[in-house]
Amino acid sequence: MTPAVEADRLTHRYGRQEAVSELSFQVPESSIYAFLGPNGAGKTTTIKILMNLLRPSGGHAAVLGIPSSRLGPEGLQNIGYVSENQKLPESMTLDQLAAFCAPLYPKWDDSLCSTLVQRFDLPRRQKISSFSRGMKMKTAVVMSLAYRPRLLILDEPFSGLDPVVRDEIIEGMLEIAGRGEWSVLVSSHDLSEVENLADHVGFIRQGRMVVSEPLESLQRRFREVEVTLAQPCPQPQPWPAAWLRARISERVVRFVDSEYDEARTAERVHQLFDDAEAVASPMSLREIFVALAREERHGGTDA
Amino acid sequence: MLPFKVTFKPGVPACEQAVYAAKKSIITGQLRPGDEFPSVRALSQALKINPNTAHKVVAELTREGLLEVRPGLGTVVAEIPRSSREQRATLLKDELERLVVEAKRLSIDLEVLHEAVTGHWRRLSPGGAPVEKLVEAKL
Repeated sequence: MTPAVEADRLTHRYGRQEAVSELSFQVPESSIYAFLGPNGAGKTTTIKILMNLLRPSGGHAAVLGIPSSRLGPEGLQNIGYVSENQKLPESMTLDQLAAFCAPLYPKWDDSLCSTLVQRFDLPRRQKISSFSRGMKMKTAVVMSLAYRPRLLILDEPFSGLDPVVRDEIIEGMLEIAGRGEWSVLVSSHDLSEVENLADHVGFIRQGRMVVSEPLESLQRRFREVEVTLAQPCPQPQPWPAAWLRARISERVVRFVDSEYDEARTAERVHQLFDDAEAVASPMSLREIFVALAREERHGGTDA
Repeated sequence: MLPFKVTFKPGVPACEQAVYAAKKSIITGQLRPGDEFPSVRALSQALKINPNTAHKVVAELTREGLLEVRPGLGTVVAEIPRSSREQRATLLKDELERLVVEAKRLSIDLEVLHEAVTGHWRRLSPGGAPVEKLVEAKL
């Protein structure tokens, strides 16, 4: 199956500044992929390359099987895209905007458009210039969902919105989900926004992909482990490479196991710490990313 | 509105948490045999979870025999299925042992543990009353 989005060693430079370097990832068909990272990590640059708004300095990307550099009007009929600061024609009303967009998309669905407008509680005959930020975002989402795109790309759709509006937008997105081929790429700097929504996550930091994999496998392989020692002992060597962020005090050793497996981790702990008991607790996405980000920076143990 | 409530905790797969919440509402009788169970789409919208996750929730509950798919009618709550000897053994040997180990580690008396179990049992029976206060007093 062709992935909905495929990026292969994408690189982009603004002058000498490398915004994205050697970035590779895939958004599998019918998945919701959360593209996460701090502000300025290169998320928007990557998305602009995918949408053929920027040309990469190196590497290539394909969207719905089409090389992004050849993405034209026909390909775009299957892609819904809402950019970070989506501009809307302020002097139009919502009804006028819908009438303007409809003929551009053969698959435009008037009844879906009405359903969404109602769900979002948007006024149809008021000028968009009078809309709040949240209403404008909802309008942009309606216009990109009403033609049932096969791929939806949202760049920071929730930033600066209150939780009620955020929930409304998610419900709207899910309104057209689950009907066959439908994939989403949503970027965010706030992990908690998308933790239950995404089934795949990619984490980008300083233009590089730190991790890109199914959320479940990520949640399964990361555990915070605490070992209580019978007596103080120095950090054993060699220290397993998969055990990140080791902190050792007199009698307690804590680390993040990035390849957790109940039996294997327990055995390792027994070998290194003379039969000490280990307690492993699951980690939130946020905790996992903090551990990965620190690891990148320090490249090993942080004392 | 869903017939059960889920307050998601970070770090635990959403599917597991939703399955547990639904199971609990079936066991306590909030959802009764024959009651309609929300569709995948309704579930995903109400809980704001991935549709694939919602699908897995329904599949898992069906696999455990708690839901039943009736063609043309949708998914309904099934009669609570009889358990196998093996399933009962897993619970009574392995999982109970785990609980006792943790209880001993936290120096909880057998009497207190016993009362707490009884309390939860009552609370989770149809028409049961809250137990939190009862346990609270003992701690």
